[in-house]
Amino acid sequence: MTWLSKGTTAFGLVLLTHACYSAHEHSALQSHRAASLSSLASAQSSAVSSLPIDITIETIVATLIVCLGLVSGTSQLRPIQWRVWAGKIEREGEAGFRNSSGEVDKDYVGNPFRLLESRPGFIDIRKQRREFATWVKGRPTGT
Amino acid sequence: MPTEKEFQIAPIVPESVMHNTKALSNLQNLTASIFGAAAGILGLESYSGFLFYFVFTIFTTALFYAIRVAPTSLKAGHTVLDTSRYFRSSYEFWSGGLLGGLAGYILTWTLFYGLVRA
Repeated sequence: MTWLSKGTTAFGLVLLTHACYSAHEHSALQSHRAASLSSLASAQSSAVSSLPIDITIETIVATLIVCLGLVSGTSQLRPIQWRVWAGKIEREGEAGFRNSSGEVDKDYVGNPFRLLESRPGFIDIRKQRREFATWVKGRPTGT
Repeated sequence: MPTEKEFQIAPIVPESVMHNTKALSNLQNLTASIFGAAAGILGLESYSGFLFYFVFTIFTTALFYAIRVAPTSLKAGHTVLDTSRYFRSSYEFWSGGLLGGLAGYILTWTLFYGLVRA
């Protein structure tokens, strides 16, 4: 995913650079031609012709491609409502908070209700006693 | 405008708000510079340059909505163009980048205009 967005951005930037160079060459050629024409004292001053259509198209296409690459390279958004956000952590865990290169984000805080999970008041002591009892009874006798 | 009571009932996560806003503003600052380069290459002047900026910024925001916001937001039951899952106000989402990136845009616009028409 990350190389796709970076590749798109790089391709768009190459196109944009090429368009920039073409436009520069075009304007240099225009000014050169105008200078040579005015030295011939021709009455018509060549009007400042606009950019050729292919350079215009190339620039706009390059801009759109760079735009697409940058947008697809942004990190995943996080829900701002507490219940949605906590529910997403509960359901997906770390998998929902990876950045584009597949690592867990640095500011991932984990389950906000961690403290509640380990409160000793919520230990089911009868269940643990029952498990212990079955374990003791299940032991082979005579050891 | 949500009241204090509504914030108590449905609290929001400040870290997530900051993360989302930062992602959006980073994107808009970057793309504003790119748009400035494009406008300079095209040789736009005065109002057409600003129009170019507004059109492309709104396009970027719409693209951001389509790629990042829409897939999960629609699945969660929000209506189309509703960004309340990730942003506090939709006004902040749709028009927040217009003024934020304008300075960078004008900077690269004038730079490339001068470079190309040397």
